[in-house]
Amino acid sequence: MSRKPQPSLSTYHPAQLLVPVIWVVLLALAVVAMPATEAVFRWLAPDARQVIYQRADFITLLGRHLFVVGVAALFTVSVGLLAGVAVTRQWGRDFLPLATQVASMGQTFPPVAVLALAVPALGFGTLPIIVALVLYGLLPIVRNTIAGLKDVDLATISSARGMGMTDGQILRQVELPLAAPVILAGVRTSITINIATAALGSTVGASNLGDPIIAGIINTNMAYVVQGALVIALLALSVDSFFEVLQRRLRSHTA
Amino acid sequence: MPLKDALPTQGRFSQWRPNWVILTLGLAMLAAVWGLPTVSVAANRIVSGTGYPVWQALSWGGGALASLIILAMMVLASHPERTRLSYVAQFAAMVLLLLLMPFGLMAASHWLVDASQPQARLGIGPAYWVVMFLALLGLIELRLRLSLARGWMALLLIGIGAVWLGCAALWLDSLALVQEFQVREAQFYQAIRQHLALVTIAVSVSIVLGMGIALLMRRFYRLQRGGFALLNFFQTVPSLALFGLLLAPLAWLSANVPFAAQLGIKGIGWTPALIALIIYSLLPIVRNTYVALEAVSPDVLDAATGMGMRTSQRFWQVRVPLALPILLEGVRITMVQAIGLTAVAALIGAGGLGAFIFQGLGQAAMDMVLLGALPILVMALAADAGIGALAAQLRRGAAYD
Repeated sequence: MSRKPQPSLSTYHPAQLLVPVIWVVLLALAVVAMPATEAVFRWLAPDARQVIYQRADFITLLGRHLFVVGVAALFTVSVGLLAGVAVTRQWGRDFLPLATQVASMGQTFPPVAVLALAVPALGFGTLPIIVALVLYGLLPIVRNTIAGLKDVDLATISSARGMGMTDGQILRQVELPLAAPVILAGVRTSITINIATAALGSTVGASNLGDPIIAGIINTNMAYVVQGALVIALLALSVDSFFEVLQRRLRSHTA
Repeated sequence: MPLKDALPTQGRFSQWRPNWVILTLGLAMLAAVWGLPTVSVAANRIVSGTGYPVWQALSWGGGALASLIILAMMVLASHPERTRLSYVAQFAAMVLLLLLMPFGLMAASHWLVDASQPQARLGIGPAYWVVMFLALLGLIELRLRLSLARGWMALLLIGIGAVWLGCAALWLDSLALVQEFQVREAQFYQAIRQHLALVTIAVSVSIVLGMGIALLMRRFYRLQRGGFALLNFFQTVPSLALFGLLLAPLAWLSANVPFAAQLGIKGIGWTPALIALIIYSLLPIVRNTYVALEAVSPDVLDAATGMGMRTSQRFWQVRVPLALPILLEGVRITMVQAIGLTAVAALIGAGGLGAFIFQGLGQAAMDMVLLGALPILVMALAADAGIGALAAQLRRGAAYD
């Protein structure tokens, strides 16, 4: 079996930045030009009274969606990193087994179930969705931070200490940079999942890009569904491809 | 080991090393018991209940008993010597607490729910949820310290769950969750069947399809990059969006192709749900099959060739058995993911337990939401533990052979 040599995935080229840019341009186009595409959507839903979702314009919906995901990401990244670093320090070692176990077990919790459990505790609106996103998004970051920091070669740390670095310097200048690709992968998973889960927030009274989909399903208006789905999909793909480029860049730096 | 750790430590308190995890969990539990509402009582299904603190719900005695158990555990955890016996005792304290909790609910229902009002119902309060969650964390921690086998832990949790279910079925008629269940018992079992059917069909189809794709990718290298890129792309598309995007073409298909309509293909219902579930399930299966088959050491394959095995024998008798644990890992990820995604599928009319969640959210009936969410959680954890145990067993078998 002859096989061509596999092109290295870790190469970074500035032209790769084009992919997220294309997705973002498509996203912006979809959001701004949605009202102008009435003819297309008329064909999708010939019987509907309205074919373009009107209750809020797509820019507002996108803004709300980004706000919820952004606030959640702010919390998850800072708390997740702190927790991951804390349990891998000498003084926090006691908590390491539990944190590892919980972070891997938490992955089995379906996001819908987490959201559904947050609502009875916190009521309807934007707060439960943010809390659910934070809880759910924390786990991949904590898990990957722990995994990344544990993977750092002990000999490297010892030699850094031998060079006279303090614990804080070792963490900032040796451990975190070496663990960065793995941590970034965790952040990517967390945020991509949260973009999808936030859409479910419109079932608990948080208005965002899930709204047109839910409204479309309730009124059997395919045009609404496609509009909502299209914008969410483009948003997810933009953010994800951006992280992809970032990861490649980081990997080519460390390589 | 870093050099620093090898140095002798000094100081008077260096000998006192309590288990900080258990101490922290214990403190948090005490705070929850005394600081949060233990139960809530509502006059009917829709109104939000009034919360009652522990001294009203369980009386001072009940609160004291719970605190005593937690304190005993904390005292054991702060003992300087970390013996196995001490950990076993802490473990027993946690189990005892979890076993006593449903009886506390009975007491609360006896004292607080007016028996003359059939609509009145008892809700499980935040303190209960928090203590339960922390106690489970404590059990996980102690299991790791005792290096207890997963099987025993699973049996223990099933036992505790059985006690809870037994209490709920026999004596806890006024519990809101039980009332929601009694009203729609038949629906509930049907939803579980639908949920399981969707998950099983989607996962089995994607196992067959996914393995086929993985094998093709190994044969035709060109397929590999494009294939993974496409599957990754689909995995990124949010579930709600994918379900939504499938509605339109399927509705068109059922309207314009009579044969499709006869098969029961519709824009809304199980068809888009199943297709979306299969699309999502493919990536983990394909990736793990591919990785698993590639990970088999060339030396082993060489040895097999040296023993005179044919190519097909080598594949089926060497490669596949050795790849099985990683393959099962893929099935585990897929299964857990599909259980969660099927809940979302309820939004496009596919039924399943998600229907309770979204109906409950629509009616602001939170206990109905719980009736849908809790079984999904249990199913996901059970699938995770079950397939994980199977994979561990296979690994051990491979190691002994």
